[in-house]
Amino acid sequence: MAAGGVLGVFAHVDTTVRAIRDLRAQGFTDFTVYSPVPVEEIEAVLEENRPVSPVRLFTLIGGLTGIITGFGLTIWSALKWGLVTGGKPVVSIPPFVIIAFELGILLGGLSTLLAILVLGKLPALRRSPTYDPRFTVDRFGIAVTCGPERAPAAGRCLSQAGAEEVRQ
Amino acid sequence: MKIVGSSAGAVAAAGCGQAPERILPYVIPPDNLIPGVASWFSTVCRECPAGCGVIARNREGRVVKLEGNPDHPVNRGALCIRGQAALQGLYNPDRLRGPMRQDASGALKPVKWEEAEKLLVERLTGLVKQGKGKRIVVMSQLESGNLGRLIESWAQALGARRPIFYEPFNYEAIHHASRLVFGRDAIPHYALEEANVILSFGADFLESWLSPVEHARAFTRMHAFKHGKAGTFIHVEPRLSLTAANADEWVRNAPGTEELLALAILKVILNEGLQAPGVDVALLRNVAMPVDLEAAAGQSGVSVETIKHIARTFAKAKPGIAVGGGVAVTSTLAVETQRAIHLLNYAAGNVGRTVRFGPDSAFVKATPHAIVGLLTQLMAQGEIDVLLLIHANPLFALPPKWGFAEALKKVPLLVSFSNQPDETTEQAHLILPDLHSLESWGDFSPREGVVGLMQPTMAPVFDSRAVGDVLLSVGRQVLGSPAGKGPFRWETFAEYLKEQWRGIAREYAPSMPFDQFWEEALRRGGVWKDVATAPVQARSAPVFPIQGKPASVEGDPQGLTLLVYPSQRFYDGRGANKPWLQEAPDTMTQVTWDSWIEVPAEVAKKLGIRQGDLVKVTSPHGAIELPAYVSESLHPGAVAIPIGQGHTAYGRYAKDRGANPLTLLPGGAGLSFLSVKVTLTKTGGRRPLAIAQATHDQDDREIAQHVGLGAARELELRGAVPEKASHPSMYPDLKYPEYRWGMAVDLDACTGCQACVIACKAENNVPVVGKEQVAYGRDMHWLRLERWQEGKPEHPENLFLPMFCQHCEIAPCEPVCPVFAAYHTEEGLNAQIYNRCVGTRYCNNNCPYKVRRFNWWDYSSPASSSYAFPDPLPLQLNPDVTVRQLGVMEKCTMCVQRIVAGKDAARDEKRPVRDGEVQTACQQTCPTQAIAFGNLKDPSSRVAKLSRSPRGYHVLEELGTRPAVTYLKKVTREHGKA
Amino acid sequence: MTDSAGRQPTYADVNRDVIRTLEPPSPAYFGWMAVVALILTAGILAWTWQIYAGMGAAGKRTPQMWAMYITTFVFWIGIGHAGTLISAILYLFRARWRTSIYRGAEAMTVFAVLTAGLFPLIHAGRMWFAYWLLPYPNQRYLWPNFRSPLVWDVFAISTYLTISVVFFCVGLLPDIAAIRDASTGWRKKIYGVLSLGWEGTDRQWRHYRRAYGLFAALATPLVLSVHSVVSWDFAMALVPGWHSTLFAPFFVDGAIFSGFAMVLVLIIPMRYFWNLYAYITDKHLDAMGKLILVTSLVLSYFYLCEAFTAWYSGDHFERASLFWKATKSYAWAFWLQYFCNSLVPLVLFWRRARTHTPTLYVVSILVLIGMWFERFNIIVPGLGHDFYPYTWGIYWPTLTDTMIVIGSFAWFFILFLGFIKVMPSVSIVEVKETLPHPVKEAHH
Repeated sequence: MAAGGVLGVFAHVDTTVRAIRDLRAQGFTDFTVYSPVPVEEIEAVLEENRPVSPVRLFTLIGGLTGIITGFGLTIWSALKWGLVTGGKPVVSIPPFVIIAFELGILLGGLSTLLAILVLGKLPALRRSPTYDPRFTVDRFGIAVTCGPERAPAAGRCLSQAGAEEVRQ
Repeated sequence: MKIVGSSAGAVAAAGCGQAPERILPYVIPPDNLIPGVASWFSTVCRECPAGCGVIARNREGRVVKLEGNPDHPVNRGALCIRGQAALQGLYNPDRLRGPMRQDASGALKPVKWEEAEKLLVERLTGLVKQGKGKRIVVMSQLESGNLGRLIESWAQALGARRPIFYEPFNYEAIHHASRLVFGRDAIPHYALEEANVILSFGADFLESWLSPVEHARAFTRMHAFKHGKAGTFIHVEPRLSLTAANADEWVRNAPGTEELLALAILKVILNEGLQAPGVDVALLRNVAMPVDLEAAAGQSGVSVETIKHIARTFAKAKPGIAVGGGVAVTSTLAVETQRAIHLLNYAAGNVGRTVRFGPDSAFVKATPHAIVGLLTQLMAQGEIDVLLLIHANPLFALPPKWGFAEALKKVPLLVSFSNQPDETTEQAHLILPDLHSLESWGDFSPREGVVGLMQPTMAPVFDSRAVGDVLLSVGRQVLGSPAGKGPFRWETFAEYLKEQWRGIAREYAPSMPFDQFWEEALRRGGVWKDVATAPVQARSAPVFPIQGKPASVEGDPQGLTLLVYPSQRFYDGRGANKPWLQEAPDTMTQVTWDSWIEVPAEVAKKLGIRQGDLVKVTSPHGAIELPAYVSESLHPGAVAIPIGQGHTAYGRYAKDRGANPLTLLPGGAGLSFLSVKVTLTKTGGRRPLAIAQATHDQDDREIAQHVGLGAARELELRGAVPEKASHPSMYPDLKYPEYRWGMAVDLDACTGCQACVIACKAENNVPVVGKEQVAYGRDMHWLRLERWQEGKPEHPENLFLPMFCQHCEIAPCEPVCPVFAAYHTEEGLNAQIYNRCVGTRYCNNNCPYKVRRFNWWDYSSPASSSYAFPDPLPLQLNPDVTVRQLGVMEKCTMCVQRIVAGKDAARDEKRPVRDGEVQTACQQTCPTQAIAFGNLKDPSSRVAKLSRSPRGYHVLEELGTRPAVTYLKKVTREHGKA
Repeated sequence: MTDSAGRQPTYADVNRDVIRTLEPPSPAYFGWMAVVALILTAGILAWTWQIYAGMGAAGKRTPQMWAMYITTFVFWIGIGHAGTLISAILYLFRARWRTSIYRGAEAMTVFAVLTAGLFPLIHAGRMWFAYWLLPYPNQRYLWPNFRSPLVWDVFAISTYLTISVVFFCVGLLPDIAAIRDASTGWRKKIYGVLSLGWEGTDRQWRHYRRAYGLFAALATPLVLSVHSVVSWDFAMALVPGWHSTLFAPFFVDGAIFSGFAMVLVLIIPMRYFWNLYAYITDKHLDAMGKLILVTSLVLSYFYLCEAFTAWYSGDHFERASLFWKATKSYAWAFWLQYFCNSLVPLVLFWRRARTHTPTLYVVSILVLIGMWFERFNIIVPGLGHDFYPYTWGIYWPTLTDTMIVIGSFAWFFILFLGFIKVMPSVSIVEVKETLPHPVKEAHH
């Protein structure tokens, strides 16, 4: 196991939450929480002093790009050829709105996907050393990164909080 | 495409080598045969003896389109459906490739020309030497020109019998009657256009009678609404024929009562003293008085009131005209009927005015059937050793009961000059295929004062020889006369013809040097002059006995009288091998690719016959099976079958299709199409007919509209009504920089003759799809001729409407195309880009007129099983028009290729296109000039004027598609609702 | 949710039960696969023949330029609506019962759209040029006509497919990770790659949750727009019975209606064969039943509107068209549609019917039949009796187009059968979410 890290494995949400609080109290800030499902309580404590996730920014930019592309493509290509059909004007906006709308959604969605990958640091080629397969079943985990000198303290804190298992 | 090469080469040779003094094009001399530029050659249409003048459009050495010769006095630029289809005789896939002889096994094997001629020469020489010339007979179709003369002199020189000019429809009753009444053995010229009232006894003059194109034109000129005036047309016939459907008043009489009616009408005229001054009343009284009006009314099923009303209308017309034809005058009373009709004309003072002796019809030269009957007997008795057939097909055109087939077996040598494998030719021992008329020299005189000149319009497609050439060389060899001497001194028929024309030159243009005259004649397609009307007097003696009873018919008295009538599409059957004609719907029934028996609804109900049920038709002379067409309008005492189908040979398109009604007719002296009663029995089988039109009921959609004569007059006086509040649009109106092409169709002029349909097919390379596909709504006609009917089903008001792409200004088909294959050009055309089409077919869903056509199968590639152009048909394809491929949508383009050509010509002269300069194919061929095309932006153009007509309307106007095609309402006569 | 014993499953149970569905399949499964594959082959052969011989091989004609292909196309697009609706809209409404069925529904959506997407190709006269509908740069400046509803289709459907797939895959991510951790050997490797190395760290979860909400927010208007656009293929045309502003909501409702029916057709057997009663409970069926009932009632309302407007408009063509549909050649199809879509679902008013699986199943099948015929009735009889009497006609299917249509069902089921054996067809993570979190001190 890599030097400078302590992992605590928990069976329950409340113990995990308690552990996070205690760690914070003792000045541990740099730790990763593993959970099989997203849990309100855990997120609540974690979000306390964090900015809102920037994913929505991706979506917004993507969507706007899509809409602009939509109108751009339709109007430009219509003018390029200038063909009259059914007595309608060459640049007929109402139908073009549909294209713009669809492209807006499309690019919006794709850029949101991009956000997950970029912000979530995915794809990750190999498991992080502190990862444990049980985290996708029913166990929660807290991996604290700290210097060896503080490791024991962290470990103690985790087990006091109720970790079933603490690893260096 | 081997043939293209060879024939193009050949014509290049023809064009350059022999041409300059021999073949002269209509417009440009042929020695500059420029690729991409058409040369026009003028000649004569030989699809029937009407002798219309045609000009053939020759591109790169092959004829691609026929058009009427605008100068020709008979057809004035128009052609009928059969004339348009003549090309498919020229390029028929089943046309004989070369001479053939029957070998020991009885099978036909190709031979060399020399060998074939030698055979004939030997046989003839033998007979001539033995002085048995009388054992030689020539049987030809009617040849009223110099070929006919050659045949006669040939027969004479060999001591053969007088040649027979055989025409199934030879109208002999008319000239017999003329002889009886006026002492002149002639068929007069009927000047319909100058009559105010036409009274027709079954004369289908818009379909086949005498000269249909000429009659159609004349009819429209007297009948179509013009400046508040319009003539009246009363038609007497048991069946609602196309001609009857065009009548203002169709009088349905019992079959065979035409003479009776004519005499009854005559009697009324006399009773009411309506006869013209100076007529021999005594004579007329002798004939008419014995007729009992009540009895006549009873037997004919025409009320006395109607008879009186007809008599008055007719007699007061000043002048009117009475004509008789169709089955009416091929009954056992044929001559009597024509005689009565002559007398009607005489009584009303029409003779010399609308009925003109002098410019007599060439039909008089056709041999009477009695003589054909005699020949049959002679053959049966083994009196004939050599029978030479020139484009005559007696085995199909004569009722089997004549025993011609059996008699033929007694003839040791049957020589056929036909270039189609027809029934008789299949029996021939020797076949010397003649050139097609479009490849031949010749001339034809449809009537006194008109001689049409024929010249080759292209080099022969196959290894055939002009019958004239063969006769000359055979004659020379038989007589052993040295070259340049004797009765056959001419090397070729062309030389013979030219020499004969020196005589014609003396007659027509004495002052003109011959070469100039000849050139002129070749350019114009012949010579013509006015012929003075010959005065005739009705003979007072002898007083001919009048029948005063219906024509007698043999067969089961409980049976139904059989009406066998000439087909508008196939004439006497010679059209049946042309796929265009097979696929063009019969206008009245809209049936394609088959023949049928028209059964009165009452009878059908009684016998439980549904449309498409196979019915066995039995007469005392034979029986045939045909699918039934249930008719509301046919006389309940009759059934009707068209002539023309039921070939047992005659190529892939004609063979084993439908049945030949002549099988049911008796043998004997005369050919009478109304002489038997038949009985019907359901076979239980079904053969659904391929009917193009789903229903004749407009379902109140006002597609074809009409207006009463009175109302039309009012409109005319009020002048053009202000533009109807057109449908508001969110968008600004379209701008048309130069032209806006449009069309106007006058429904009052359209007679439903279908010529436009075939002209369009020929011009635009429209494929033929076959019976199954037509039956399943997959026909490809760009232009279809619809028949709509209103009023009582047994006596409907008929409206004919040519429907094609309406080139809407706000076209529903355009915006739905995902790839811009359909769009609007700045000349107002609704364009369709075949190469761009991906075949979503959305455009046709959205087309309210359903005029778009989809290539369901691969009609254009020779590899495909549905290939529509077997060799040599591709030679006919118009090089200016794409042949569409599998999976694309196509439709009427308003002949855009012609528009482009017209604009190019105009640009060369730095001027805009003149009105009438560009003609669409349909417009060009229309015998009644019902269609106008031109630039709508030019208010003085014909189309613009017509579009402003108070009778003008747009089909489905309420949809706001703003079509570029305006229809003019048909004008109906109030009293037409009989 | 509880299992048959009434005991609540634990997190571990969920993993176990769901991953169990991926065990190597039974011979019966392969049997079904074989049958479906056979039908699919027949369909492919039929299509090949059609491409070779031409559109004539299918029974189309004038006036029915469109027929069974577009019918089936719209049908599948409709099916493709339930999935996204359940996963997106119900997600936004926080309907917790969706969790155990949404995965199957989403798979169904993706595959249905993949099936539908084939039909514009099958239907095109020159399918080898179908790519001309896409706007791709080329030296001749040939661009599609953006005014054509068919081009709108191209955009709407490709967008819908993309977004559905993304949504679907993102949802799968944590589950794949779970399977990865539960499996060994080459399977572990493959799932490892597919999971993109998901670990479920707090940072991953927080962005993931955000993104998921945004997807739902994007997908909701999309799912409504797609079938509106498809409906405009008809509403934009002049054809009597097509040219109506009613069509967009009418089609969307019909889509949801048939979509839910299809979901039931799929999940009822799944729950039976894999004994997932603990997760897909009667409560779910009941909820689905209610939704089908509601959409059916709405649909019936639209049917009435359709008939009423046709009559009240006084428009001759509309009236004639409707009268003809209801009384002439295609009357049987017309009334079958009403029977299946308006009458049959009424049984779902009874709670017992909503939870009685056989009843529910039969109703769903009938609804699917009814909805196919609804589209058929719009297209085939609608075109058969349009403005121009001369060309009126009756459409007869041929072996070719029948085989192709049947083949499309085979195509769908082969995809679905394949899916349920390699991916969890019930969401592990979201099912767990709905369970109470494991806590030590109960009094907390």
